[in-house]
Amino acid sequence: MPDFLRKFIGLLLLFATVGIAACQAMLVSCSSSLPALSSMLPH
Amino acid sequence: MGRQLLLTSLGLTLLVILILLIKRRFRLMAERYQHTPARFPTTKGLMVFLLPLPVLFAAIGALGRGNLSNLFDNAVCYGLFLWGALLLRRGLRTEADYDRRQVAKAPWPLKTLGSGVIALATGLTAWSSAHYSPLMAVVFAGLALLGCYLSYGFDPHGAKRFTDRDGVDSTDRVIEALAQAEDSIAAIERATRDIRNAEFNSRLRRIVSQARQILAMLEEDPRDLRRARKFLNVYLDGARQVTEGYAKTHGRVTAPELEDNFRRVLTTIEEVFKEQQQKLLETDVTDLDVQIEVLNTQLKREGVI
Repeated sequence: MPDFLRKFIGLLLLFATVGIAACQAMLVSCSSSLPALSSMLPH
Repeated sequence: MGRQLLLTSLGLTLLVILILLIKRRFRLMAERYQHTPARFPTTKGLMVFLLPLPVLFAAIGALGRGNLSNLFDNAVCYGLFLWGALLLRRGLRTEADYDRRQVAKAPWPLKTLGSGVIALATGLTAWSSAHYSPLMAVVFAGLALLGCYLSYGFDPHGAKRFTDRDGVDSTDRVIEALAQAEDSIAAIERATRDIRNAEFNSRLRRIVSQARQILAMLEEDPRDLRRARKFLNVYLDGARQVTEGYAKTHGRVTAPELEDNFRRVLTTIEEVFKEQQQKLLETDVTDLDVQIEVLNTQLKREGVI
């Protein structure tokens, strides 16, 4: 496999795994904070 | 949902291609002006520091909400990511040193260890913070490990051994001599910081730079080590002792003779180091001359020229 292609696939995999897991963790964290925020808003 | 995923993957692919193209462009630009042997690129391995940043934001968010368990999960995961990235970067630096040297021991498997820690952090983040199933988390970890391997590779195996002219394996001796010389240079640099004299500091900086150049030449061709024995055992060690001694005493005693003597010694050391460098260069030229002569004779004998 050419070096360029190997690195490209490697970076893609890193983006797909680390990036998605990290972003998903942040989204879960944000979404769980929404009820707390909405409870603070005036009805 | 499917459409969003497709768009995200498309965006990620384009981003990766863009990063690779920019890195390639920078490397080509750098090679055009680079005449010295390649050093460790400062940006290599930085991406693994940047990618997990959302986990840090998630931890900060959890802190803001006062959610202790979420904060603990995200903080541990981010700590693991950071540790893995540091190990990986240190491994890359060690590998660059190993590649540069002609004689070297096999490095510690820091890259492999770093990749393993990053994979563990990815799996843990996917399971505990992103709420994926344990099986999916294992898949995330496995793919992250594969990604690290494909992007950065694993550590080099086996020592680069050196056999001298008598056929004796002198790898350990060469490595020890070079490490001692490196220690002496570092000691001179440390002592220079304690000397409050601009002239002496600039002289010592020149001496350190010359010593490093000689050491680089010895690393490139350890056969020169025998010729440079006097430089390593007498001059370099002597320069260290004198510099350390002056750094200790000059603050307590103000004697103009001491400064004159030290100046004279530094001038001599500079000259000796320059001579040593020249001698090593001349030896290389002589070796090349002999090789050319041998090749010439061989070609003439075979009727090529």
